[in-house]
Amino acid sequence: MDPCTHEWSICNVRHGYLVEESCFECGGRLSFFSAEPVPPMEEYREGRHFWAYLASCQTVKFDLKCRACGRIVNLNDVNGLMLSECTDRDCQVGALVRQQGPDSLVYVAVCPNTTHSTGKCVSSEGIEALNQYFKAKLSPVGRTVTVVPCKLCNSIDKCRGTSIADVGLTDIQ
Amino acid sequence: MKVSELVQKTGLTAINEYKDREIESVYISDMVSDLIASAKANSVVVTLQTHKSLIAAANLVAAAMIVIVNGRKPSEDVAALANRIGIGLFSYSLDSWAFAKELVKLGFE
Repeated sequence: MDPCTHEWSICNVRHGYLVEESCFECGGRLSFFSAEPVPPMEEYREGRHFWAYLASCQTVKFDLKCRACGRIVNLNDVNGLMLSECTDRDCQVGALVRQQGPDSLVYVAVCPNTTHSTGKCVSSEGIEALNQYFKAKLSPVGRTVTVVPCKLCNSIDKCRGTSIADVGLTDIQ
Repeated sequence: MKVSELVQKTGLTAINEYKDREIESVYISDMVSDLIASAKANSVVVTLQTHKSLIAAANLVAAAMIVIVNGRKPSEDVAALANRIGIGLFSYSLDSWAFAKELVKLGFE
């Protein structure tokens, strides 16, 4: 068990683009963070996949650092947060949303490959640190949030919610 | 300074019902992802964004209030979400710079 009761703060703030791509072959979608001045839009082949640019938006990424023990939790596998308004009765996130009180909301941490074809999603370490960080920030004002990984969604691409994204600020036509 | 005092001194127009919270800082940005990384708790968030994602981000940083500049007004679903999480939404007729000058005059630094 971790002996430190962490005091998380935001560190390693990075500005860039969240780029979304789609595969012509399998219909899969992935997203990645790019710190390039202009987001990459080239098509490319990767194994059986043929990835093509879909969209991009400006975004800010960060990690969390504990002021007490100095531990840093890398949040590279978090590509965004979405305020869930899921009403799906068969979805774990939907069930969690229905359990919340009036002062509590559920946010979904969205990973780069929402098809989860590789079995990976946002790390449990990242989810735990995000929950602790937001709990410390919001409890003085009487609010709570619960952050869950997107692998708990029945279908994140069809999920009802509000993504925290800067869509439309710098779209490239 | 309380939200109500700032509203009265700067002529803000309230868009929803709000809690009269204490304001401790100011953050000006038109990027919602930037808010999460940089805005402090109990801050006035000044922006021209009116999208629902603005409220989702402001909730995560425990913002005290949101001031939407240039006279812009959000849609009803945005105001409804702000009501649900208890964040006051306000409209200011001029731009961010004009509002920033008002804040400095009132002692925010």
